[in-house]
Amino acid sequence: MEAASVAAAPPVARRRGDTLRRLISTYGLIIALVALPVLYTIIDLVHGRGLVPIADLLVQGISNGAIWALIALGYTLVYGIIELINFAHGDNFMIGTFVAFTLYGTLGLTLATGPLGLIGGLLVCLIVSMIACGATNVMIERVAYRPLRNAPKLAPLITAVGFSFILQNVGILWFGSSQFSVPDLIHSQHVLFTVAGVRVHNSDVLAVAVTIPLVFLLTLFITRTRIGKAMRATAQDPEAARLMGINVDTTISFTFLMGGLMAGAASLVYALYQTTLWYFSGFQAGLIAFTAAVMGGIGNLKGAVLGGLIIGCLQQISDNRIGAQWTPAVVFAYLVLIMVFRPQGLVGEETREAG
Amino acid sequence: MRLRSAAATGSCCALVVGLAACGGGGGGGATGGKVAAKSLTIYSSLPFQGTSRGQSTAVLNGEKLALAKFAPGGKLGQFTIKLQSLDDSTAQNPGTADEGQTRQNARQAAGDKTTIFYLGEFNSGGSKVSIPILNKGGIPQISPANTYVGLTTNDPGSEPGEPQKYYPSGKRTYARVVPRDTIQGAALVSVMKSDGCKSVTLWNDGTTYGAGLARNVELSAKPGGIAVQDKQRTDKTAPNYRALAAGIKSDCFLWSGVTGENGVQVFKDAAAACPNCKLYGPDGVSEEAFTNPAKGGIPANVGARTKTTVATLGLKDLPKAAPVIAAYKKKYGAAPDPYGIYGYETMALALDALKRAGAQANDRSAVIGQLFQTKNRNSILGTYSIDKNGDTTLTDYGLYAVKNGKPTYQRKVVADKKLIPSGSSS
Repeated sequence: MEAASVAAAPPVARRRGDTLRRLISTYGLIIALVALPVLYTIIDLVHGRGLVPIADLLVQGISNGAIWALIALGYTLVYGIIELINFAHGDNFMIGTFVAFTLYGTLGLTLATGPLGLIGGLLVCLIVSMIACGATNVMIERVAYRPLRNAPKLAPLITAVGFSFILQNVGILWFGSSQFSVPDLIHSQHVLFTVAGVRVHNSDVLAVAVTIPLVFLLTLFITRTRIGKAMRATAQDPEAARLMGINVDTTISFTFLMGGLMAGAASLVYALYQTTLWYFSGFQAGLIAFTAAVMGGIGNLKGAVLGGLIIGCLQQISDNRIGAQWTPAVVFAYLVLIMVFRPQGLVGEETREAG
Repeated sequence: MRLRSAAATGSCCALVVGLAACGGGGGGGATGGKVAAKSLTIYSSLPFQGTSRGQSTAVLNGEKLALAKFAPGGKLGQFTIKLQSLDDSTAQNPGTADEGQTRQNARQAAGDKTTIFYLGEFNSGGSKVSIPILNKGGIPQISPANTYVGLTTNDPGSEPGEPQKYYPSGKRTYARVVPRDTIQGAALVSVMKSDGCKSVTLWNDGTTYGAGLARNVELSAKPGGIAVQDKQRTDKTAPNYRALAAGIKSDCFLWSGVTGENGVQVFKDAAAACPNCKLYGPDGVSEEAFTNPAKGGIPANVGARTKTTVATLGLKDLPKAAPVIAAYKKKYGAAPDPYGIYGYETMALALDALKRAGAQANDRSAVIGQLFQTKNRNSILGTYSIDKNGDTTLTDYGLYAVKNGKPTYQRKVVADKKLIPSGSSS
């Protein structure tokens, strides 16, 4: 959330190497980020494979990244307002995937369901999953974080870790501890259309079609509405916001609700996109999404989305060209590189804590 | 001076404690020798959580059935036999043997003075952990399902130091009733060859079993005239394998792994990326948790393209198993998973070794001796012996296709001997 930003610190005396660092942090990182796709594009062209293979990977990377972006928004919203890394957020997302899958059965959604029934049913699933995740997030905030508002920072942090495990165990109780396949209701890997030979699958369209409007609405909500302004004010200075008559606790609860709603939307998209669920998917997705939020600049909505998309693309390229076993190393190497030259993230600004 | 002597005394104490701790790895049980009591315990350690639950339950049911047949009322000669079932998986690590839990199970058995046999593990990775502990304790062990080469031999596919590192006592205590992966690898290649595969994309799940079998398949593929095009290790926690699958350029695909390592997603993504590929899997995925969409398995259209190999033959090629299958159906209300037959034979072999030991059935060393002297045993799996490494001399594999969500026996696969990588087998 941009509201977490504060005025830049007064300029300090320039040191040798500062100019180089500034150049690297602006242009160098851009070059580094595009290096992998450009490198493999050149290799493909040299081998006469054309641009389609790398474009295929980027399309899948964007759609995968859209899911990470939706989850990352929850991390960044909460961090922006109370500077807490809500480790339970990913597991809340996992609960959302289970809610969505349960609703398939309740609503009778199967592979045989007609298009209209499917769209209507999935819309219900989307709304219910969002409400479920939003409510769970608010409940966690009320029960576990609010009583620790004035406690040392480690206390809510470890409480968040604790809640993460509680939710994982709820998941195990609900659907067991193994991965399980769910019906591929949208024929996720069916090629919907091709553009110059680049394949766009049903799941790619779904992920982007859900993410773009939600991010747009969330941005509007935060920038234009009264409660959104209250969230930004609280993020800047909770004490000053309180003195100005803002109900800080309610505002924080609302922030958790927003984050939960995004996670709920991501959970349905994930269930339809991946078609395999398990209790640990939240931890894994949470880790990636948190990395995305940090990479983009934690506390910044645009940063979370950008970070999600970058990680999605990096994962696809690395899986396909370097080897799946190296993908986490590649993603985190990029994170380290960005942190070294831009500790505030790609589009982040200095936060209360950092600044 | 006083300080120096105190330090020396302290160092000696630390050394003694350290040595004692090192020696206690076996759980403090008797190292070989006799069990004082007339009541003997057979431990069975299998993964009951996650996707392996069905197979493990079948193995345990088979073991119970054999115990009831060969030691009615739990009596074998002058001894009473008790079966103690343990779970080597955990909720956090389901579908396979959890290293910590397996260690705990092996230590429990090693620490129990009445232990006479340990039947397990189901997963080769688990046996890597339990064999050394039980070996130190001199406890005979039989696995109903392990196929990893390095547990018993240094054949191709094993890692440096194997298998000696699993036997700290220097004596062999472990045997298995399923053929090792040098044979399964050759069987899979034989099947692919007969199906007309020219090239294969070979992925594995990174486990001891999966990676080892993949090495064996690769070694067999070369003489079999099948090109291995893309070797990859899949990560269980990856949300999908679409980008990886986009690299499939072969006409056949083989994943060497177990269902619990996200096998269903692997096959879904590989099948979608390569719509004309023939799909193959080993015994690790030949179970309903993998083949049945209603149980979270692969969709029917992917199942229709999938074949698996299991060291169990169907009834038509395993006539001696018919009465056991009938008894199983009668007692448990359903036909056994193929591993149920192996569970039965594992217990039957253990009881046979005890029976042959006679009055010395409470002497672990004597029982181990009898186990390794198993020659031309007329069993429900066919006639086999246990060789000096603890391997069965059986070599037949069964080919299974997916029908109505179940692995269904197609035919016997006799691996072409030219495809079996040669090794020193020590």
